[in-house]
Amino acid sequence: MVLSSLFLSGALAILPSAGTPTLAAAQPEAVTPALPEDPAVAQALAPCAAIIRKEFSQVLAQASKRIPRGKLGEENLLGYWVTDLMRERASRCLGQPVAFAFINSGGLRADLQAGPVRVADIFELMPFDNELVVTEYTGREVLQLLRGGLIKKAGEPCSGVLISLQGTPERPVVSASWLQTAPLDPETTVLIATTDYLLASGDGLPTRGRSKKVIPTGLQIRQILLEACAELGSQGKSLPCPAPGRYSFAPGMLEALLERRIAW
Amino acid sequence: MVDRRAFLGGLGAAFLASRLPLRAESSPRITLLHTNDTHSHLEPLASGSLAGRGGIARRAALVKRLRSQGGNLLLLDAGDVFQGTPYFNRFKGSLDYKLMSMAGYDAGTLGNHDFDAGIEGLMTALEEATFPILNCNFTWEGAPRLGQKILPWTVKTFPGLKVGLTGVGVEFHGLVFPKNHEGVGWRDPVAPLGAVVRRLREVEKVDLLVVLSHLGLDHHGAAIDDLNLARLVPGIDVIIGGHTHTFMDTPVRVDDTHIFQVGYAGVNLGRMDFALGPKGEAIACGSASLPLVDRRG
Repeated sequence: MVLSSLFLSGALAILPSAGTPTLAAAQPEAVTPALPEDPAVAQALAPCAAIIRKEFSQVLAQASKRIPRGKLGEENLLGYWVTDLMRERASRCLGQPVAFAFINSGGLRADLQAGPVRVADIFELMPFDNELVVTEYTGREVLQLLRGGLIKKAGEPCSGVLISLQGTPERPVVSASWLQTAPLDPETTVLIATTDYLLASGDGLPTRGRSKKVIPTGLQIRQILLEACAELGSQGKSLPCPAPGRYSFAPGMLEALLERRIAW
Repeated sequence: MVDRRAFLGGLGAAFLASRLPLRAESSPRITLLHTNDTHSHLEPLASGSLAGRGGIARRAALVKRLRSQGGNLLLLDAGDVFQGTPYFNRFKGSLDYKLMSMAGYDAGTLGNHDFDAGIEGLMTALEEATFPILNCNFTWEGAPRLGQKILPWTVKTFPGLKVGLTGVGVEFHGLVFPKNHEGVGWRDPVAPLGAVVRRLREVEKVDLLVVLSHLGLDHHGAAIDDLNLARLVPGIDVIIGGHTHTFMDTPVRVDDTHIFQVGYAGVNLGRMDFALGPKGEAIACGSASLPLVDRRG
């Protein structure tokens, strides 16, 4: 029997029609540049691609280096850039300090590559129409959120705090301090910035069920990023890549976190 | 009957074997091609480690080439067609479904991001889909017009072979903006899927039962996933998965169920080949994750 072995990158097992199974060794045939596009699909896509090029290809600024989201267990530098902007814009919008901002790593859909940053790049990293909102959290609630982020994704991107996971896998201790090194008082209420999506749905983080007042800003997160890039570009500046160091771990705790050995 | 252990031992990791009902007289075969989490990546990726890979025009050409070889073939998708490039922001999923239809998709299911344009947006986009969208664990009481567009299951009939298809979706809570799925409810998929499997097996008498799943491969016990689904719902031959963007070189097998997922963004086209053995029980399948390479890259 001849089942096509073209395109297969692994061995192909075949039951021949005669009965006894045999293996037809399948050499992979890479789908190389020699494979043409389907002309009908390409033709249908072309005018839409032209629209996308026209509307989304404007270069806003330059990124001197790649700003990655990081793999699980690595710090999300792109998330730091986004949440720093969220906190800054929320503070500017309200006219008072916003102590903390956070976003879910799953909400950032692409890294920013070094080189020109186009409108399309910002849409790809933030495709959602989510809006910036401000609400109040106690220090305890901030800690709960940080702990939830550690459990879910070994730490979610945020701005305004330094987070530490100490102790042992059996007795973990999550602590945080404000950037100005003041300890995070569990009872003190602060303004925090996040997205309307996260407050409404949580994405697995403990954000819901609050009856607190939510202050809308009317600003889309993506628009904030677009404007920040445009502003940097107009000034001839490159996008800053935030420094790591917002999360720190006692020896062995990051490994325990990734291996799900923490007794939360 | 095939000596499965010896068969497996001789064929290595890329080979899978299972038991299925027999159509002894014809030894029919079928190829399942599949994508998941294409996320509006209609063009090849422009940057990153996968730059140059993917693109629906190239995928369509590959599918056409495989179809031209004349065998039984299904092209399937496991959801999250929407959201991820400006194409979605601009065309709201309609272009995705239109081009998928042109590429010859036979069935798909709904992922959480397929609700990102809301119920009305999804309904508008679905007008471009000429293939059925399958789901058996959502409830539609509050969105009956959308519910009418979604099938709980379908059967594709080939010479000597009936394939049953259904779909399951991930829980909305925590993933989908509540306003975007208003009127659509979620049920744990185990019971409704079990009922569909029984229907497909006992009434429709399908030979191969395929679930298009947007549950995710493995949530480590935190939520129902494909690994658990295979254990909890007997009678599934294949789970074509999505949601977790898992790059798998070959399917994993749980009991008699093969589970496969091929990354995201359409950079791979999954392939599983099934042949119903002539003597009764055995079925062999080859599998591969097919990279799509941009010829301009």
